[in-house]
Amino acid sequence: MPANDAYDVVVIGGGFGGSVAAKKCADAGLKTLMIERSQNIGEKVISGLTIPIYGFLFGPDFIRDGNPPIERPADGIINYIIKDIDSGDIDIDDSLRVPRPFSPVIAFGYNAYCKPFCQWQAQKAIESGAEVQTSTTVLDVIKENGAVAGVLLEDGRQIKSKIVIDAEGSQGLVAVKAGIREKYPPEAISLADTYDYEMDKKDVDRIFGYSLRFCWGWDEQKIAPPLGHGNGLMVWPYRNSVHFMQDHCLRLDGIKAPNLKKRFQEYHDNITSKLPWWRDEVAPKSSVRARMWEGFEIFVGLDSNLKNMPNHDNGILLVGDAAGLESTELCDGVPAAWFSADMAADVAIEAIRAGNTQKDFLKKYDERIKAHPIIQWSISGKNRFNLRYAQEKHDERLLKKCVHLAWGLGQLTHSLTPLLKMSFLFIKKDPRIITKWIKMFFRYYQNWLHNAYDYSEREQRVCDSGNRPKLGEMIFKICVGGLDLFLRILSPLIKILAVVGYHLSGLANPVMKLLLPIIRPIYLFLRKPMYPIGNWIAEKMIDFVYRADPSLFETTKGSGHIKSRQPG
Amino acid sequence: MRTHEKFPGVEWMDGTGDFIRVDTTKCIGCANCMNVCLGDCWEIVDQKARLKSLSACMECASCWYVCDAGAIIFTWPKGGTGYRSDWG
Ligand SMILES: Cc1cc2nc3c(=O)[nH]c(=O)nc-3n(C[C@H](O)[C@H](O)[C@H](O)COP(=O)(O)OP(=O)(O)OC[C@H]3O[C@@H](n4cnc5c(N)ncnc54)[C@H](O)[C@@H]3O)c2cc1C
Ligand code: SF4
Ligand code: SF4
Repeated sequence: MPANDAYDVVVIGGGFGGSVAAKKCADAGLKTLMIERSQNIGEKVISGLTIPIYGFLFGPDFIRDGNPPIERPADGIINYIIKDIDSGDIDIDDSLRVPRPFSPVIAFGYNAYCKPFCQWQAQKAIESGAEVQTSTTVLDVIKENGAVAGVLLEDGRQIKSKIVIDAEGSQGLVAVKAGIREKYPPEAISLADTYDYEMDKKDVDRIFGYSLRFCWGWDEQKIAPPLGHGNGLMVWPYRNSVHFMQDHCLRLDGIKAPNLKKRFQEYHDNITSKLPWWRDEVAPKSSVRARMWEGFEIFVGLDSNLKNMPNHDNGILLVGDAAGLESTELCDGVPAAWFSADMAADVAIEAIRAGNTQKDFLKKYDERIKAHPIIQWSISGKNRFNLRYAQEKHDERLLKKCVHLAWGLGQLTHSLTPLLKMSFLFIKKDPRIITKWIKMFFRYYQNWLHNAYDYSEREQRVCDSGNRPKLGEMIFKICVGGLDLFLRILSPLIKILAVVGYHLSGLANPVMKLLLPIIRPIYLFLRKPMYPIGNWIAEKMIDFVYRADPSLFETTKGSGHIKSRQPG
Repeated sequence: MRTHEKFPGVEWMDGTGDFIRVDTTKCIGCANCMNVCLGDCWEIVDQKARLKSLSACMECASCWYVCDAGAIIFTWPKGGTGYRSDWG
C-alpha cells in the first residue's frame, strides 16, 4: 500500500464488527481499508463464545445467508445453583431451552472460536473489494479543521480517509487518545479467565449435547467467582472441545482490586476437583489445550455517564465494544457489534454520498443505535448486576430469581418485546425473510454436521445423491416453497400486519410477565413426557438434514458450501 | 515465537517494544496492577510498581484500568507482535 493513499473509509480493527462495516462499505463501491494490529485476523480476539440467535436473524445479510464456521449449535442453558459444594447441595434451573423436536436444528445461538469466525468475515469483506492490512497498529486519528480525516499508524504514516469507522474493541485506546471517549473505570470491566479443553466429540456429545452450563453460588463455595464481582462460571461445548470461563469485575465500588491471580487459581482448582460433573465426567476425558484472558465491558450500559459517551464525532463512527455496546445482561457483544457496524456503514455511505461527514449528519447513527430494540434492551438489563445483592444478603430466592430472569425462561419477560419488534421490522421490509430464516437454521445445521463451511480447508463434503431423503426433500420443498409463495403473494397485507404487530409488541413483555407463572409449570411438566416423541422427530430431522440436497437450504446462489453429486 | 509453560495454546512474537510503562513519579505503590495481572508481569519494589516481565502479557489492559493514579502508560505492542492464539 503506498503511503498517504487516500480512502473513502478506514476501519480500525478486524474483529467481529470491523469486517461487517468494511464489507458493506466496499459493496457500496467505497474505497475501503481495514487495519488490524494482529498478524492474522482474529488472533487477538478472545471470547466465549455463544453468539445469540438474534445476531444471526437480524444481523448482516451475508452472515445470515452464508455458511460461517460454527463449533456447535446451542439449544439452552443449564444453570447450577451451588448452595453447598461439599454436600452436593446443588439446584438446577434449565428452563431456558429450545425443546425437542425443534432443537437441535433450531438453535438459540451458535458457539464459535473467534479466529476462524473473524477470518471468515474478513474474507467476505476482501471478496467485496475491501483492502485489509494486518500487523499494523493504529496509534491515533489525524484531524483536519477539527474533524477526523484519517489515521496515524505506528510507523508514522498517515492514511487519509473521508470517514473512519472505529471497531477497535473495548479498550478503545484510539478513541481515548483522540479525546472522543474516556477510559472505563475498573468497576465496569470484568476480567475473564478462559480455558480451552480438548475432548473427543463423542464425549462432548454425550456429556453436554448442545447445552451450555453455567454455575452460580455463594462466595464461600469458591466455585463460581463471587456474584457481586460480576459473574459466574460458564462452560461452552464446542465440536471437540469445551471452553471454560470464569470472570470477575476488576473492582467493586471503592474496594481494593482483588488478587485475581490467586482467586482464579483457587476457584479453578475447586471446580475441577469438587464440582461433581466436572470432576467425574469432564476431567477424565479432557485436557487443557489453551489458557488466556481478556477483559470485557460488563456494566458500561448501566452507568449513564459511560453509556452516554459519544459514539461518533466529526468524521468518525464507533461501533461494537468501542462504542460500549456489550450486553449488560447476557454477556454477549457480537450481535451488537454486527448491528452497529451495519448501521455505521449505512450512515458512512450516506454521509459520503451527501458530501457531509460532520457530526450534524453522523448523529443519524446515534439515533439509529438508540432506536435499535435489541441493542437498547441488551445494554440496560440489570439482572446480572443485581446478583451482587443476592450475594450480599445471602438471599437464595433473589439469587434464583436473578438467574431465572437472566439465564432462564424468565428472560422472555424482558426480551420478548425487542425480539418481536425486530422480527416485525424485518418482515415489514421483506416478508420473505421468514423463509430465509428457516433455511438458515437448516443450512447452518448441515454445515455443522459435515463441518463444511465457506472456505473450509478440509475436503468439502459431497452429499451422495443416491442416498437422498427424497420424501423429506419433497415435504421441505412443499412446505417452505409454499410458505415463500404465500409470503410473496400476500406481501402487501403481511407488511401491514407487521406494522400492527410492531406496535403491539410493546405489550408482549407485560403479557408474558402475567402469563409466565402459568406457562412455566405447564411447559416444564410437559417437557419430560413429550421428550421421547420430540426426540424421535428430532432424530429424523437430523438424518434428513444430513442427507438432504444442500441447494434446498440456499438463500442466495452459492450460499451452501456442500456440493451435491449425481450418481455414476 | 515464544510459548509459556503455564499458558498453553498461546504464542508470543518478540519485538513488541515497551508497550506498558510506569510513571514512577505518579505511582503510589497500591499494588492494584500486580493484583489483577494473571500473567504475573508486575512486582512492587520500594513501594513502586515495576514490570518484571511481559513474557506472559495477554494485553488485557487490566493493569491500566485499575491504576487510579494514572501511572500506567498503556499502548499496544508493535503490529504483528505480542500474543496470538487460535483458541480465543
Ligand atoms: C472472555 C469473553 C467472552 C465473551 N463471550 C461472548 C459471548 O459468548 N457471546 C458474545 O456475543 N460476545 C461475547 N463476548 C464479547 C465479544 O467478544 C465482543 O463484544 C466482540 O468481540 C466485539 O466486537 P468488536 O468488533 O467491537 O471488537 P473485537 O472483536 O474485540 O475486535 C477489535 C479488533 O481490533 C483490533 N485492534 C484494536 N486496537 C487496534 C488498533 N489500535 N489498531 C489496529 N487494530 C486494533 C484488535 O486486535 C481486534 O482484532 C465476550 C468477550 C470476552 C472478552
Ligand atoms: S496500580 Fe498504578 S499506582 Fe498502583 S502500584 Fe500499580 S502503577 Fe503504581
Ligand atoms: S495487560 Fe494484562 S496481562 Fe499484561 S501486564 Fe497488564 S494486567 Fe498483566
